Amino acid sequence: MIHNFLFLSVILFCLGIVGVIARRNVFTVFMSIELMLNAANLAFVAFSRIHESMDGHVLAMMVMAVAAAEAALALAVVILLHKHKGKLDTNVFSLLKG
Amino acid sequence: MLADGLFYIFAVLAVLGAGGLVVFRHPMNGAMSFVVTLISLAGLYALLSAKLIFALQLIVYAGAIMSLIVFIIMFLNIQTEDLPKEETKVVYILGSLVAVLPIGMLLFKIVRSLPDKTLAIMGGNFGGVKEVGLLLFKDWLVPFEIVSILLLVSLIGAVVLAGKRGTIK
Repeated sequence: MIHNFLFLSVILFCLGIVGVIARRNVFTVFMSIELMLNAANLAFVAFSRIHESMDGHVLAMMVMAVAAAEAALALAVVILLHKHKGKLDTNVFSLLKG
Repeated sequence: MLADGLFYIFAVLAVLGAGGLVVFRHPMNGAMSFVVTLISLAGLYALLSAKLIFALQLIVYAGAIMSLIVFIIMFLNIQTEDLPKEETKVVYILGSLVAVLPIGMLLFKIVRSLPDKTLAIMGGNFGGVKEVGLLLFKDWLVPFEIVSILLLVSLIGAVVLAGKRGTIK
């Protein structure tokens, strides 16, 4: 039965990768990354249920803290880029290309 | 079994929400379907008897982070014509599905080789605040402090990024 949780985690992670590869909207790409973090969280909690220890819960909490920090910084960067370019297309944001 | 039925309901809702996030054109629709995914993941954590993570998922993820994202999407006031034109979206989605499929099959194979367990509710206050907190402040103290430094760095970074008054345009 725990296997089903891990299968669901794999499916959600693959959907997140598809969102990052296939979409060009900045917000959709960003939320796809959040989806991958959530899939990893589900795998952590399922493994900690298998081994009956709570280390996975602590790791899931840390992943949530990292996701919060990432959300704050990434959204600030998106607002700045939107001010500069007025677009939400990831193809426009190639400022660092050499 | 009630737990099995609940699992399948939450799993279908989570996959549908994630699919909606990938498919919908406007980011607001995507954010709303992503909230469905987050809430059903909270239900799955409750099924795994992770009480603290269940509450944190609802409060921090579905509450704080997603309201921040939705706030920014509304703040930018995105019209439909501002969105990038993605005429080849379907082709890209199918192509990336083909690219991701081998990874998914490999991971499925790995999961099948692991030992399985039935889904009984754990006793002994498993996943409660006291137990996880004791573990966090005993075995995981150094990573906890590193995470606090990370949050401080992101705070300073957000202030630096947002604090440039009058230099835009």
